[in-house]
Parts: sequence; C-alpha cells; structure tokens
Amino acid sequence: MKWATRPGVHVDRAACAWLIRRFIDPDAEFVFPADLAAIPAGATPFDMRGAALGHHQGRCSFETALEAFGLDDDPALEEIGHIIHEADLADERCDAPAAAGLDVLIRGLTLTSESDHDTLAITSRLFDGLYEHTRRQLMTGRPPA
Amino acid sequence: MNQADDWVLLAYRLPRVPSTPRSAVWRKLKRLGVAQLGDGLVALPADPRTREQLEWIAEEVTDHGGEATLWLGRPLDTNASSVVVGRMTAAVAAEYEAVAAEAAAMRTADAAARRRAVARLRRELHRIQGRDFFTCPQGEAARRAVETLAAADTAGART
Repeated sequence: MKWATRPGVHVDRAACAWLIRRFIDPDAEFVFPADLAAIPAGATPFDMRGAALGHHQGRCSFETALEAFGLDDDPALEEIGHIIHEADLADERCDAPAAAGLDVLIRGLTLTSESDHDTLAITSRLFDGLYEHTRRQLMTGRPPA
Repeated sequence: MNQADDWVLLAYRLPRVPSTPRSAVWRKLKRLGVAQLGDGLVALPADPRTREQLEWIAEEVTDHGGEATLWLGRPLDTNASSVVVGRMTAAVAAEYEAVAAEAAAMRTADAAARRRAVARLRRELHRIQGRDFFTCPQGEAARRAVETLAAADTAGART
C-alpha cells in the first residue's frame, strides 16, 4: 500500500511510518507530497492537516494511529505514544523525559539526511530499539541495563 | 533570527460557546508565543516548525466547528513590524527576568528547596526558550542565575 505524509519528516511522521511498516503493512511505500491535494490516488495520508490519521482531540498523529489501528492495547506502544506526544507537542501532558532527546536527535538527523527515505531508514532502527527498550522496562519494572 | 521577514499567520474564528475550546486554543497560542495582530489573527516568524504548530492549531479550530486559514506574509511597514517584534521580545524578557529573580531569591533557601527550584526553573527556561524567537539577551542572564543556584548545591556536600 501507499502512504503519504508531508516532506521534511520529523518525530511524529517518522514514528507513524515505523508503526505502519512494523505492525500494519510490511511492504508500505511512503510518498511525500507537499499538500493533501497532491496525494496520489489510493495513498493513505497521515500526519497532514485534514487527514484522519492526524492530530485530533489534543493527541499527536502517532497516538491517533495507535487507536485507529487497534494497537492501543500494547502498553509499550502506548508508552512510546507519550514520548512522541511530548517530543512533538511539548505540552507537558505526559511525563516523558526521553522526548527532549529524541526531538533533538531527529531534528539533527533531518539536517544531514539525503532524503526523507534516508531519514526513515535510520529512524526505523531507532524506534525498533526504543520499542524493545520500552517493552523490557515494562516487563521488569526497571530500565534495561 | 533578529528580525523576521516572513511570518506565518493564522486567522481563526471559533464559536463563543462552548468556551472551553476557545480558551484551550488561546492557551496553546500563548505557549507558542504568538504575536496577536488582531481579533482572531495571530502570527509567528515563519519556519517549518512554527508553520506546523499553527497548522495543528488550525486543525483543532476546525475540529471544534470553527474556521481557520493559514497565510504566509511579509510586513510592508517595517516600523509596525518592529513594534510587534518589540512586544514579543518584551514579553519573553519579562519571563526570563522573573526566572532570574526567583533563582536569586532562592539562594538563601535550604538545600532541598534549592534543588527543587533548580529543576523547576530549568524546565521553565526550556519552555520560555521555545518562544524566544529573537534570542533575547535576558535569556543568558536567566540561565546564568539558575546555573549559579545549581552550582551552590554541587559545591556543598552531596547526599
């Protein structure tokens, strides 16, 4: 399937792309049109103004996507949702100290990436690691050493 | 950025009732540090981040039955835009000064209270920095005041 989001991906879009490819559509193909009108036919938009998979009821697109995809019963993904929320919105709704670091790392990464595909290739590894770390922490109640 | 050339503008209208979405939107705009240019018209220096921030607020406005449009604009009257920049800078400077004053006042407090104050004031500085678009000089003074307070602690015995 094709999935569309705005170019110049940052934390919320990178996290959504990771979620889609890992849990929903392993063969996902991502395109980066500048606005909703330029989305190719059949592509599902995310983290764009006017998209169902966007910011709604004060939540970031990743949190909206968790619910839309029925993944909101995974506590590790829920926890990652809090981190993405704070990294993207910084409205202090969630306690997520990792958010500030993640925001800086991905902003820096986009400065040196050759393309949005290049950014997503790296962030997908980052989110794999964050997911594993979060899962283990929830299992043992302690951050993994 | 010392003087913004391009601004991103949000023109919005929300029903007067219910008032909760109106005040929620206004609180978010305040946190972003917008310049209010008129009733339902706010602006921020344009960059990809501010543009996205206002886009999502526009979405929130339409989600609540309001109308919102986003514009990119450039002031034709540089004097008027200096007034706007001056107003934004003064607001941020006052926030920094409050932090610096509080850090100075806490120097005589006991160690536990000082440590709590350092943590809180650092967070507060981080928040203010997010809306300090013109690198207001009071920011450096406020950071120094907070770090001086922190140093007073680490110089003493650790518990």
